[in-house]
Amino acid sequence: MSTRRINGILLEKMIENGLAFLQQHEGEVNRLNVFPVPDGDTGTNMALTLGNGTRYAKSSEDCGAYLRSLSDGMLLGARGNSGVILSQFFKGFAVEMTRSPLIGPGELRNGLIRGYRTAYEAVVHPVEGTILSVTREGIEHIRTQITRNSSIESILSMYIAEMRKTLSYTPEMLSVLKEAGVVDSGAYGFILIVEGMLKCLYGEVIIPKEQNAHPQSGLVDLSLFNENSEFTDGYCTEFILQRLNHSRYQQEFSKNDFISELRFFGNSIAVVVDGMRVKVHIHTLYPSKVIAFAQQYGEFLTFKMENMQVQHNEHDRDLNQKKEHKPLAIISVVNGEGMKELFQNFGCDIVIDGGTTMNTSSAEFLEAIEQLDAEEIVILPNNPNIILAANQAVELSKRKNITVIESKSVAQGYFAMAMDIPDSDDAKFRVSQMQSGIDNIATVSQTVASRNYSFHEISCRKGDEIALLDGEIVSVGSDFAKTIADTLSVVPDIDDKETCVIFRGKDVPADREEALYELLSARYPLMDFEFIDGGQEIYHWIVGLA
Amino acid sequence: MSEFILMADAGCDLSAEFQEKYDIKVINGHLVLPGKGDVPTFMKWEDVSREQFYTELKKNPNDYATAPPNITEYENAFESYVKDGKDVICVTISSAISGALGFATTARKNILEKYPNAKITLVDSMRFGPGFGLMLVHASILRSDGKSFEEVAEYLEQNKNRFHQAGWLDDLSFVAKKGRITHPKAFFGQLAGIKPIGEFDAGGLTTVLGKAKGAKAAYAVLLKYIEATIENPEDQYIFIAQTSRFPQAEQYKKMIEEKFHPKAVYINDVFPFCGINIGPGLMAAYYMGKPISEDLSEERALIEKFIAEAK
Repeated sequence: MSTRRINGILLEKMIENGLAFLQQHEGEVNRLNVFPVPDGDTGTNMALTLGNGTRYAKSSEDCGAYLRSLSDGMLLGARGNSGVILSQFFKGFAVEMTRSPLIGPGELRNGLIRGYRTAYEAVVHPVEGTILSVTREGIEHIRTQITRNSSIESILSMYIAEMRKTLSYTPEMLSVLKEAGVVDSGAYGFILIVEGMLKCLYGEVIIPKEQNAHPQSGLVDLSLFNENSEFTDGYCTEFILQRLNHSRYQQEFSKNDFISELRFFGNSIAVVVDGMRVKVHIHTLYPSKVIAFAQQYGEFLTFKMENMQVQHNEHDRDLNQKKEHKPLAIISVVNGEGMKELFQNFGCDIVIDGGTTMNTSSAEFLEAIEQLDAEEIVILPNNPNIILAANQAVELSKRKNITVIESKSVAQGYFAMAMDIPDSDDAKFRVSQMQSGIDNIATVSQTVASRNYSFHEISCRKGDEIALLDGEIVSVGSDFAKTIADTLSVVPDIDDKETCVIFRGKDVPADREEALYELLSARYPLMDFEFIDGGQEIYHWIVGLA
Repeated sequence: MSEFILMADAGCDLSAEFQEKYDIKVINGHLVLPGKGDVPTFMKWEDVSREQFYTELKKNPNDYATAPPNITEYENAFESYVKDGKDVICVTISSAISGALGFATTARKNILEKYPNAKITLVDSMRFGPGFGLMLVHASILRSDGKSFEEVAEYLEQNKNRFHQAGWLDDLSFVAKKGRITHPKAFFGQLAGIKPIGEFDAGGLTTVLGKAKGAKAAYAVLLKYIEATIENPEDQYIFIAQTSRFPQAEQYKKMIEEKFHPKAVYINDVFPFCGINIGPGLMAAYYMGKPISEDLSEERALIEKFIAEAK
């Protein structure tokens, strides 16, 4: 079998198959974590990002149109660094396909090139040995072999083979991978997607994992549609119709006629035909008519209907709930009840709960931005993995007055907030004060190793106490306090540090603070110590040094 | 030498030694201390050490309270001098944070009814703590130089906005709770390592003009700020106040002496009358300099500039 051209419908199937294949291996990708800390989430982030794209995408025979909507959805739903890079890859791919209803060998080659280049551009400091290297070498090594007569299957096979080769080298390119004995998780995740796409061409359809609704959408507030409501928006109706051979059903089926018939009942119509199955999306005031019409051809495999008025009203309400107008508003991402309260007390207008892995998406940032009515907005991501997502949200929002202060830990976020001067009416000064808050803050985090691990001279066994300095494991032992103290001792300018703020994690007994304080204050008698009940997950202690 | 009386309340934080040296009559206010109930203000650490007091205060701030001298106490104090024909200039703690001026005003009216020829002038210092005390020292020196009652009273009115504070209050939870700082924020109490730099404002309170991260950065900003605002430092006595920040105050004193060569730098205590409202985090210098602008815009610009330079 060889495919020379693919249209938007086939491409959609391929990408959905790619997503399903990635989801099958999600846990495996997550476990390719450099550090023995159970916060690996690359697989999940990539799947959520691509999943948001497929949910958002509008089926179209035109590849360019389909890819545009897919990439918009991915940009919005991008989670984590890997998700952002993936979304940028597809953005580049989509841009290249703008005027390509069909994808042939040349278009595919150019799209894959444009994709990796766009991804590189999106990253401030591109790191080799990651998804970036794999997507670059994957296509650059085969681009000259692609001809007018190459089949899509052969191109993707070569592409995958080259990417796998590069993947096997990623530990050589990035020493953290080598020492941890893993390949790069993002790169592996990307290859899985392309493999899933190729499998689709070979007819190997992977059953998609049941997807949760978008986590942000939550439950609809049904009280918004009541006896006094007006109904003008209709129902969002989606179903898959299985055409049946029984003589009771109309056997002649023309997609075009089907669509033109549907136009009598509503709008926003999308129809995808897959053999004897027909997937339909329509906004209609009279779903009963749509049902009666469709049932002439077969029976429903799935059926979903939502009152759009409720969603509309909810949207209106959300708009009305915009926060009060402020000269400067602050969005921060934290994990843990104590942290949440702390940042709220600090005056953060929106505190996003990042969950254990703090993988806030661009869409969540964007949603937070939309809620605010402020002349200046500051975002504190408090995690290196979502800085890109925050920056992407800023770009998508098209607002000029947003500053992402690139805080890499809650400790840095704490100092940024602490340096704010809410009294000042000079917003620029406040932003620069907050920006200066994150300078020269060392962050030490402490937890228990989730698996055996070896890196440089450091090795630990599952269950050992470990402490990290700015994300790198520095100390291993059996006494948590000692691992923290030992890690403090390698902070380069520890003698210049004056303050030590310590966030206690969830389920860590408060009386352990005393042991920690005794040890640290004996070693650093001139330092000021402040303990805060952070309640964060994963890390038992997070220590900020200023 | 003029014979009039300079009177103040315990908010001036002048030690017994200074009260005697500059002949300032201090009228006691009231403290509510845990387990002791209502006791008169004291300005000596006798029953309790500074460290003990502030450690306990930090633990249970709500068990402490202060009240200014009441009307009768002011009346009695005024009467004790005017009955002998002595005139009184009574300077009160900033009316923005205490009712002292109001009580003194009523007391003055009552006393003038009884002694129609008495001369009592009230001055709202718009300051508290050693900034207020320093103002009294200046007034006392003028009195020693032979300036008249009227001249000294006029001097105080005209020059009170030239008494500066250059320092930090790194535990703002107390002032926030007592509503004794403009626009307090509840989180001020938790700012480990951050030094909010405050100056007296036209409203008789202090306003945070900027924040420095860490003591070292704060010293650098403060010394530049003093340099930009002080006048004739070599002729001045400079006060440094600290509630429970003695080591930092000693360091600050040394820096100020080396840089400005003033006549003397004194480290003052902040006694419970002010201390209960300020909390343990004050470390500031007080000196005389250029008049403070009405909206603090000039001072804020200086602090912003110096903070930027300190990075």
